[in-house]
Order: sequence, then structure tokens, then C-alpha cells
Amino acid sequence: MTDLSLARGQVDRERLLRLLQEYGVYAGVVALLAFNFVFTSNFVSAENFRTQAVQVAPVLIVALGMALAIGTEGVDLAVGSVMALSTSLLSLYLGYGMVPAILMALVGGIAVGLANGSLVAFLGVQPIVATLALMVAARGIALVLLPQLEDVRDPGMASLGSGDVLGVPYLVLIAAALALLVAFVVRRTTFGRQLLAVGDSRPAARLAGLPVRRILIIVYAASGALAAVAGILATARLTASDPTSLGTLMELSAITAVVVGGTPLSGGRIRIGGTVAGAVLIQLLTTTLIKHDLQPSWTQMAQAVVIVAAVYAARERGKR
Amino acid sequence: MKPTALSRRTTARTLLATGLLTSLALTGCTKSEDSGDDKATEQQADAGQEVASPSAGSGPGCTIAAYGGEKLDLKNATVGFSQSEKEANPFRIAETASIRAEAKKRGVKLLTANAQSQFSKQISDVQDLIAKGADVLVIAPLNSDGWEPVLKTASAKHIPIVTVDRKINATACKDYVSFIGSDFVEQGKRAADQMIEATGGKGEIAILLGAAGNNVTTERTKGFVDQIKAEAPGLKVVFQQTGEFAREKGQSVTENLIQSKPGIKGIYAENDEMGLGAVNALKGAGKKAGDVKIVTIDGTRNAVQGIVDGWISGVVESNPRFGPLAFQTLDSFTKGDEVAQDIVIKDTEYTEANAKTDIGKAY
Repeated sequence: MTDLSLARGQVDRERLLRLLQEYGVYAGVVALLAFNFVFTSNFVSAENFRTQAVQVAPVLIVALGMALAIGTEGVDLAVGSVMALSTSLLSLYLGYGMVPAILMALVGGIAVGLANGSLVAFLGVQPIVATLALMVAARGIALVLLPQLEDVRDPGMASLGSGDVLGVPYLVLIAAALALLVAFVVRRTTFGRQLLAVGDSRPAARLAGLPVRRILIIVYAASGALAAVAGILATARLTASDPTSLGTLMELSAITAVVVGGTPLSGGRIRIGGTVAGAVLIQLLTTTLIKHDLQPSWTQMAQAVVIVAAVYAARERGKR
Repeated sequence: MKPTALSRRTTARTLLATGLLTSLALTGCTKSEDSGDDKATEQQADAGQEVASPSAGSGPGCTIAAYGGEKLDLKNATVGFSQSEKEANPFRIAETASIRAEAKKRGVKLLTANAQSQFSKQISDVQDLIAKGADVLVIAPLNSDGWEPVLKTASAKHIPIVTVDRKINATACKDYVSFIGSDFVEQGKRAADQMIEATGGKGEIAILLGAAGNNVTTERTKGFVDQIKAEAPGLKVVFQQTGEFAREKGQSVTENLIQSKPGIKGIYAENDEMGLGAVNALKGAGKKAGDVKIVTIDGTRNAVQGIVDGWISGVVESNPRFGPLAFQTLDSFTKGDEVAQDIVIKDTEYTEANAKTDIGKAY
């Protein structure tokens, strides 16, 4: 890339910086992988990659919905609480069978998303405020429904959480499929283009006759549904419903993954590949520090550094 | 144009209404779930009450004359109990159930309040209890600091206060009578003894720490690490990461641990939930029960079941059943007897030897 800018005969610092910002997340992932290959014992093993992929799956799924919300120049702070709500609903309805329970959990997530979307689209409430309200409300409802951790003894759920196809865990397959689906919707469908237009400029989108409200409602409903899927999968992995702690601070991890991945907070652009890489980067960062038994406070500080770097990059991009 | 815009609006409205209705329906039809559990926990509250005597604590004793109150008969008194957190985890459930059961047993009138993890609510809860006529108070404090307004009201009326499970920063025998709680350092020490026993005192072990900046975490770590250093120099703590007292975190941290340090012999989890997460991780990695020795603290039923199943080697209890000891202390005190300022509640422990027979006592 450097060669390319030099070949043009002029050192385009701006352009170089932009390339770094666009692809920095991939460079970060590669650098962390390289570090671990060399310095972390037993890092290169199928078992370890499997663990990392399984651990990143729920974060990634939540981040996909978050990317859609951020693409419309919004944000969805309710995702962590939606995970808690979905795990509560799942646990309560598991008596009727796994499929009805999963459906109820999804309905719960979509309901929160519809409420978010309605507040944003009809009442014109700022997304950060609207989803903050639902973040508090959904966690509250989750704890009313299921006040304490409950074990999930359903064998179907257990195999969803730990089973695999040809060595690839269900969780990873589902996360990958959803990432492809969301990428397809964003890049190849009319809805995706309309969504980005809304994020670019809502007044312009309205003038162009786009169904702005419907788009916003669908986006938040999708984010709610994805968060519910993440909650269901996390429950399956844990074989327990824990609405007190499931999904806490998940909104921050998801926002970090999206922003680190190069999606601007100003909307109008969504990078799904970057979001995937962003989620992987956070996972690798946490895992590296854990494997090297560094003080937990260092983990938090390292994450802070990455967030600041990403926000700095976003600021540079915003100036242009 | 017009009809489409209108229909769009209706669809969206319908969506909104459906959303709200569903959420209402969801809350409505599941509300009745909790009632069944209460009875079970109440029965459980009576089990496994092993209690030290109120005079057998540490610190100088306190009498009602020194405190400035008047003697009364606890039987005719009204006791106010202020719980700090929602009864959403086994510890709080068992704690409240134990206080209720003891009040019932003694035929004492009990007023209760729950601060739902909000400190300002707890302050007003306690003031309410006093206003409603509580003669003595049992408080499970949410915070150690910030109690001055309550203590002022209480001391003006010479209301004896006993705090349970957490201490408040105030003068014993002046602002409150006694504190009854577990010794977390001692719990860590006993966990270390169990770990030494389970591993034979040799090899590499890991610690799943509790939430950072929490005194329970610090004390349970100190007790464990010091005891290992003193008693089993062959055991090396090679890994200390926080699992934030949550099962999910305990699981993901342990997954990383067993891959980077496959030779690990034992895991000390500073609460049961993280220990159960570690069990999940070991199962997922294809280990067999007993391959890695797990020792945990709390004594919840799930963890004791883990011993029965062979996945957990030992559980040190953190006793939430303060009822008998709190009422005994208040009874002696209001009669005019001397009670200790710091009273340590007796914690039992579960091992392979007693897990099967004593699981009914676990909370």
C-alpha cells in the first residue's frame, strides 16, 4: 500500500493514514495472532481456535445488529439487556419444548427492538436515550421473569451449545451465517442501500421518498433479534440462564467491535468484515492477556487503549 | 401517495402495539412462578444452622447499660430487618428466610424491608422501620459507609442494631451493638487446606478471583495464598484471573486457562458460580471428573451436587443463616447480658465425605 502511494509520485500522508484506519483492524488481528503464535504456549491448536471462535460468536452476533443501528447514525444500548431478557424467556418457556422457548426468546428481543425503533422513528427520541431506557427496562423485566440463575437441563440446548458439524461448533456456524446474511443485506439489497441513505442524511432520505420510519424500526427490531440470538446461544453454551450477569457491558463490546472495525459513528457506512475483525480483535486481546496471566486491570486498560485508538481514527475520518 | 403513506403508518403503529402488548403479555403470564420456591427455601432455612454463641466473638463485650438503652423482653418487641439486595441469589434468599424463620420460631413480630441494591432506599427503609415501631434492628448493609443519618435516629431512641454479613464503619457498642459475619480470610485458608488435601500439595494451581476491588475477593485471596505459602510450598499459584463472581466468566477464563496451561492440577474459585463455570469448561475440553481439582466457597446446592458428581473436590461454606445468631445476640443483649462486638458465624464445609449426606443443608 505504501508503494502504491509512493508510485503516484507524491507521499499522500492523508491517504496512507486513511488506509491504516480502514485496514488497521486487520493489521491488529494479524499482529496479535503473530504474537500469540510465537509467545503463547499451546496457542496453535484446533482446540484453542475452536474455543476462541466459540467465545467470540455471541459478541459478533450482537455487533452485527449494532453495526446496522450505527449505520443509521444510531446506536442500540439495549442489546446486553435483550440478551438477559431472552435468556429469562428461554428458561421460562423451555417446559413447552426447545423450539417454542427459542421463539419466545426471539419475540422478546424483537419486541424490545420494536419499542426502540418506535421511540426513535415516531417520537424522534435520540437513539442513545431511547435505547438507554429500554436497556434499563429490559434488564428489569428479565429479572422479574427470572430473578436468579437457573440451570438449563434441556439436552437439545446443551447440544446447541457444545455440538458441532465436522468439527465446526454450531455457535460458530450460526455466527458466520448471520454475518454473511447481514453483509448481503447491507451490500446487495435495496433495503441495505436505503438504510445507509438514512444514516447518511435522514432529511435527504425523507425527501427522496424513502420509508425512513419503517427502515429505522426494522433496523432496531433486527438488532433486538440478533441480540436475542446471542442470548440464546450464550445460554446454550453456559447451560444456564443467568439474567443477572448475562450481557452486562455487552453493548460496549459490540460498539467497540463496530467502531474498531471502521464503521463511522456518523452513519451512512457499514463495514461487516471490519466488524467481524473488530470482534475477533477484542477477543484476541482479552485472551492474550488472560493466557499470559496479566493483572485483570491491565486487560481493561488495554481495551481502553484500543477504544481510544479507534475513536481517534474515527475522528480523523470524520474531518474529511 | 396518500393511501400508501397512511398504510405505512398503520403498519408501523400495529407493529408498535404488538410490541407493547407482547411485552405486557410476557410479564403477565409468568408472574406466578416464584411463589412455589418460597416454601422450599423456608424449610431449608432451618436446616444446617450451626451457630456460635453471641458471647464467643472477639472485641470487648457490650452491655445494654453501656449502650444506653433499656432492657426489654425480645418476645414482646418488634424486630426490624433491612435486607440490602433483592432476594435474587441463593445467599440473600437463605439469609432472609433464616431471619423470618427465627422470628416465627420465637413468636417475635418482624418488619422487613428490601433496599433492592439502592443505598438511599436502604437508609429510608431503616428510618421507616424505626418509624413503624421497631424496637431492635437487624441490618444487612449494602455499604459500609454513609450510615450517620440512620445511626443518629436510632441512637436517639436507643434502638439496638445488629449488622449481619457486612460491617458498617461506626463505633461498636455506641452506634451499633455487634456485627455478625463470616471470616473471609479464614474461608480462603480453609479452601487452601482443601486444595492441599485434594492435590497432595504438589503442582500448579490457578485462582479464579472474584470481582475486583471487593473486600470479599481480597480477603478470600489473602487467606488462600498465605496458607498455600505456609503449608504447601510445592503448590504454585501460576494463574490469577477474575471471573467476576459469574459463571459465564468463570467458564471462558477456564477455557483459556486449560489450553495455555494443560498441566494445571487445581482451580480455586472464590465463589461457587465461577467454580461451576470451570466445571463446564473442563467438561467441554473433554476432561474427566477429578482430573483437575476444584475448590470453591459459598456452599450453594449446585456446588455441593458438584462434589457428589465428582467434579468438585471441596466447598467451604459462607453461612447466610444469620437468623438464630442475630436473635440470640439481641435476646442476650436486651436481657442485660454482655455480647461481643464482632461475632463470627460458623461456616461448615463440604467434602467427598459429607456431600451426599449433607446436601440437604446446602442453600
